[in-house]
Amino acid sequence: MPRILLVEDNEMNRDMLSRRLQRRGYEVLIAVDGQMGIDMAKANAPDLILMDMSLPVMDGWEATRALKVNASTRNIPVIALTAHAMSTDRNKAIEAGCDDYDTKPIELTRLLAKMEALMPRQVAETTDEKEAP
Amino acid sequence: MTELPKAIEEKIQHMLPRDLLHDLRTPLGHILGYSELMIEQMRDRGDEEFIPHLEKIRAAGHKLLEMMRDNFQETRNSDR
Repeated sequence: MPRILLVEDNEMNRDMLSRRLQRRGYEVLIAVDGQMGIDMAKANAPDLILMDMSLPVMDGWEATRALKVNASTRNIPVIALTAHAMSTDRNKAIEAGCDDYDTKPIELTRLLAKMEALMPRQVAETTDEKEAP
Repeated sequence: MTELPKAIEEKIQHMLPRDLLHDLRTPLGHILGYSELMIEQMRDRGDEEFIPHLEKIRAAGHKLLEMMRDNFQETRNSDR
């Protein structure tokens, strides 16, 4: 089961997205600010991180930069999630080290495709488990 | 009354739609996300009764999102 770390400070966004991902077979860990996201990434080695960028304590850009310079977390794919939708926002996220970027409101099918593209091995294993007799 | 320098005035004009769009996207995401979640859950239970109502909520949310994107595009075009 792929393990996703969702770093999101908005309670309704957390509740909604975590439930929708859990319904599709993902294990979802939750962090509510950037520092907590870093701590949980180091402690739990998630397969992918969904990172809101406007966060308290430490924002998503700084948290991603910290994750990408740390040997134990630099290979974890990070998808930036933000309600800012201009191309400059995408560039800013990529420059911080994010592997991909998606805008809110979340279109789940689009987000799932991006997640699966960044962790094909885990998705394949999950599919194999489901298809096993 | 002192007028704002033109550069600052233009910056404010461009910031307002951007911030407004950002703030509207969060509650709109809740409307779309929860309506889609409820549709999925009710389909799983075989309970179709309220799905047409939820589809209307979702469609209205998408319509609002399209309107925001059109507004966003206009803002982008005005930057050129």
